[in-house]
Amino acid sequence: MKSHSLSKRGHFVQAPYLFILPAFLILFSVVVFPAIMTLRYSFSTSEGNFTLDNYSYLLSDKLFFSAFKNTLMFVGGSVAFQYIIGLGMALLLNLEFKGRPIFRLIALLPWMIPDVISGVIWKWTLDPTFGFLNDFLLKLGFIDEGILWLSKSHLALLCTVSVNIWRGFPFVMIILLAGLSSIPGQLYEAASVDGAKRIQRFLYITLPSLRGATIVALALATVWEFRRFGLIMAFTRGGPGRATEVFSTFVYKQYFEFFRFEYASATAIVISAIICVISLPYLYTIMRQT
Amino acid sequence: MTMYIGYRGIANKILLYVVLCLISMAILFPIVWMLLSSFKTDAEALRSPITWFPHNPTVENYVKIWQIKPFLLFFLNSIIAAGGTASISTIIGCLAGYGFSRFMFFGRTFLIGLFLVTQMLPGVLFIGPYFKILSFTHLYNTRIGVIIAYVTLCLPFCAWMSKAFIDTIPKELDESAMIDGGSRLTVFFRIVMPLALPGIAATFIFGFLLAWQDLLLVSALTYSESLQTVTLGIARLIGEFRVRWTMLMAGSLVGMMPAIVLYSIMQRHLVKGLSVGAVKG
Repeated sequence: MKSHSLSKRGHFVQAPYLFILPAFLILFSVVVFPAIMTLRYSFSTSEGNFTLDNYSYLLSDKLFFSAFKNTLMFVGGSVAFQYIIGLGMALLLNLEFKGRPIFRLIALLPWMIPDVISGVIWKWTLDPTFGFLNDFLLKLGFIDEGILWLSKSHLALLCTVSVNIWRGFPFVMIILLAGLSSIPGQLYEAASVDGAKRIQRFLYITLPSLRGATIVALALATVWEFRRFGLIMAFTRGGPGRATEVFSTFVYKQYFEFFRFEYASATAIVISAIICVISLPYLYTIMRQT
Repeated sequence: MTMYIGYRGIANKILLYVVLCLISMAILFPIVWMLLSSFKTDAEALRSPITWFPHNPTVENYVKIWQIKPFLLFFLNSIIAAGGTASISTIIGCLAGYGFSRFMFFGRTFLIGLFLVTQMLPGVLFIGPYFKILSFTHLYNTRIGVIIAYVTLCLPFCAWMSKAFIDTIPKELDESAMIDGGSRLTVFFRIVMPLALPGIAATFIFGFLLAWQDLLLVSALTYSESLQTVTLGIARLIGEFRVRWTMLMAGSLVGMMPAIVLYSIMQRHLVKGLSVGAVKG
């Protein structure tokens, strides 16, 4: 009851609602209302009659399930490795040494680049004939001929995930760095005095202290990677074939390339439901704090 | 954490820098490759065996992007869309952030939950209805339509971030100002906003960058070339039959500069705003 004393005087009771009202009205009209519209479209035929066909079609749509599988691999692979690399980099860049700000800036760079542009520059770097990577690997003698990175299904998906790991690990890193800097140094000193080895200090002090940072980083990274669109559109456009098609590109194409408005709505609803369920632990953590 | 290094002397230090340099190279090589390519002629870039460094460095590509494609217009569109979005989202987001930060009231938990959930929802959930609504109101394929759509993307984040920054300002300040006769709004504009200014600037920039990066909404809600943003312009260039890579690399560099500059300036505050909940808990 933060403002209890004020509300007793009477004329401030409505204040919180007035402050939140503009944001609420906007959110309602541009988020809640459209979301309900999408829900309604997803249950209707193109003539506007009620139907469950969109959902039953979805359940039998092989392309949807292939996009589903790709999305899981894309999000799972991206987030897992973004976390592992982000944690490693955070630990490394939390050390004290000369030039640390420069190295932090370098490590942050991939995250600052708009994802569309990351897709473009990596596509050029991986170009089979004129790209840098093949030439570099050839010169080192690792390969005998240029690899067609984006022409084979599995390799293309692997490349897409790798590029996205490159793009996204800095975000995890900065969140974890913030977490690391809040661990009191005395904890480590006390542990050293008690004879704790480096690995023990890491396992029993560092990791538990990073719990909150980890939840935030993993949750936001997961939600953002589910929504990832620009990178894939620029990098592979979902190809070759459907090998790197994920939810966002799939729904976009249903809407604006195949013009199947109602079916696209159904897929969008299913995807949103999945994302909401996945983000529950994060919501729970945050809500408990506020 | 100094104890991780330092004790073992110089060898460890050298090892550390070697590792750092290798990692930096692994991170930077596509960016350096982009930079080098942007100074090559088309003929040199598409020659086999490839050259790493441009033989005859030229700025031709940086001139051509403004001529062959209306890149200046794309830039302007991006700035208008991102700036408009960030302004609206920041002002309204700060008001809401203040409300959430300072008051306990009926429905607070529900409303915070609503804000958080909306920031999770994917853009593809909205593009269909936006397309219909904006067509119906004749805002499809307009800058205003794009900004309205972007506000969806940014407002929940801005409200959430500004709440975190306003939380750091002691609420006793508000109360003493109100005892002196200030109204809530005066307190908000005269006391809280100026004190939270760095945070609010970070919120603005974050909103700006979210909008700057978007490809989905602008591709769904516009069709004219004259309304394309930088990201859409670049995405269209790569979809063309014959990709002009050197020009595309120059365009990419120009297109990423605003984001990099803004991130670098606001780095510290952005981290603070993004890691809400990361440090506690």
